Amino acid sequence: MSLGRISAIARQDLRILRTDPMAVVPLIVLPLVVAPFLQPAFKAAFHFAGLHRATGAEQVVPGMAVTFGFFLVMNTCSGFFREHAWRTWDRLRASQAGAAEILLGKMVTPLVEITLQFVLLFGVAGLLLDLHVRGSWLGLCAVGCSFAVFLVTTGIAVTGVCRTYMQANAAVAVSALVMGGCAGALVPYALLPPWAQNVAPLVPSYWAMQGYKHAIFGGQTVLLSILVLLGFSLVSTVVAVSRFRLDDPKIGPT
Amino acid sequence: MLKVREVHKSYGPVKALRGVDLDVDQGEIVALLGQNGAGKSTLVSVIAGLRKPDRGDVWLNGIDASTHPNLARRQLGLAPQDTGIYPTVSAFDNLRFFGELAGLRRRDLKRRIDEVAEAFSLGDLLDRRARHLSGGEMRRLHTAMIVLHRPPLLLLDEVTAGVDVQTRNQLLELIVSLADQGSAVVYSTHYLHEIETLGAHKVMILHEGQVLTTGSIPHLISTFGGSFVELTFDELPAGLHLPAGTVVVAENILRIPADDSPAVTAAGLVGGLDQSGAALREIKLLQPSLESVFLSVTTGVANGGPS
Repeated sequence: MSLGRISAIARQDLRILRTDPMAVVPLIVLPLVVAPFLQPAFKAAFHFAGLHRATGAEQVVPGMAVTFGFFLVMNTCSGFFREHAWRTWDRLRASQAGAAEILLGKMVTPLVEITLQFVLLFGVAGLLLDLHVRGSWLGLCAVGCSFAVFLVTTGIAVTGVCRTYMQANAAVAVSALVMGGCAGALVPYALLPPWAQNVAPLVPSYWAMQGYKHAIFGGQTVLLSILVLLGFSLVSTVVAVSRFRLDDPKIGPT
Repeated sequence: MLKVREVHKSYGPVKALRGVDLDVDQGEIVALLGQNGAGKSTLVSVIAGLRKPDRGDVWLNGIDASTHPNLARRQLGLAPQDTGIYPTVSAFDNLRFFGELAGLRRRDLKRRIDEVAEAFSLGDLLDRRARHLSGGEMRRLHTAMIVLHRPPLLLLDEVTAGVDVQTRNQLLELIVSLADQGSAVVYSTHYLHEIETLGAHKVMILHEGQVLTTGSIPHLISTFGGSFVELTFDELPAGLHLPAGTVVVAENILRIPADDSPAVTAAGLVGGLDQSGAALREIKLLQPSLESVFLSVTTGVANGGPS
């Protein structure tokens, strides 16, 4: 295992991203654009529920982080599918980089993107949207990190399962909205229909939402959320390891 | 440098390789020759470690590729059949990436990029995004990316496909010079004249995954290089009396072995054709050459006989 080769793969992906920033900028910026529109509605909902000090940012900011974070799963997939589309995958495999080095190198850029999204969203929300973290910033970051690990491992699992870029794109888009909906990322958990509330703990996004909210409101530990998210990451890793084949022919974006 | 022994590879029911053996020494150019689907690219993929053989062994510089794949890959540079470059980044960044993967750093890397760029006439194009290069420039970049770390074995799979004559000649000259510097070269193609231009030390003819024959060009010509007469008709006449060994190449083309002189054979054939009323469009006399070797060897198989 060579850090130099992992770093070379990561830097090449970052160079590619630099030449085509629009592949990721909307996903990072859009949550910041959407959040102010939704904030008043959530503020009213919190007031209705008796939380008079709430600004609405406590729901909308983690909700956006979870929903739009899930869309970034596709960027992990793209890192592999574009190699197939550009016919560079076999070259990469025939290089001195081993399978583990390729996979680890390919995880770096999506992690950077997710981190950037998290920092911008929570940072700007703290400055402009009256987001007050009454619990722990450290806990918030720990939840963010475990969710990021889940998203990236899921991206590799999705790549392993799907044969084409379009399949992966559809799977991620549907999952992002369904999981976001069930998790209470789009609508507060308390307002979800009972069946959705029952299903919610089965989806990782729910635990990310719970973790963020506990860190923001304080008074409850984020440890359980972190552990569950890491558990889901383990499941994704198992799927990735069992389904990802380096010599699988994939059809990249055209 | 390279030893391939009894390699078999199937894709479902299709047997892509059937017991292939190959030896390539340092500084040697070995040409893999065969029609589309003969197994050339599969063999290259197996040697490069991209496909696992069902059976058989591959050694690179004495390293068993099945037990030490990472170590074995250090010995080779692969230019696959399809142009594989990163279109959105510069030519320099394409070269830099593969240099870094090969362990080159800083000054060494920069120096090698400059050397390779000069050799492949890419010096003025390094800052240009790869997608803005012409087809020939892309192909040169595609090939240049594998020589940065001076691998002892070069695997070149139809690297001149789709390029203009000038680029083709330039690439072939570079390959010869790399072999002169000690690289072992496996060059897959179906262009016969390229093999002669390269002055390949050995030619391996593959057909449906099997090695039909291997040898130097002079050896193959002296052993298999018969003469042929090729007749092209407007329409193949019915009831034509043809000598033994005649092969129908296409619906209007016949190839007839000329055991004596091709001219004598042709004269005899044309005399017979006059009476049959067949409309003959073209007569081609094929003298002993790599082309006639290929035709002779593959025709033998097509007719069911060993070559």
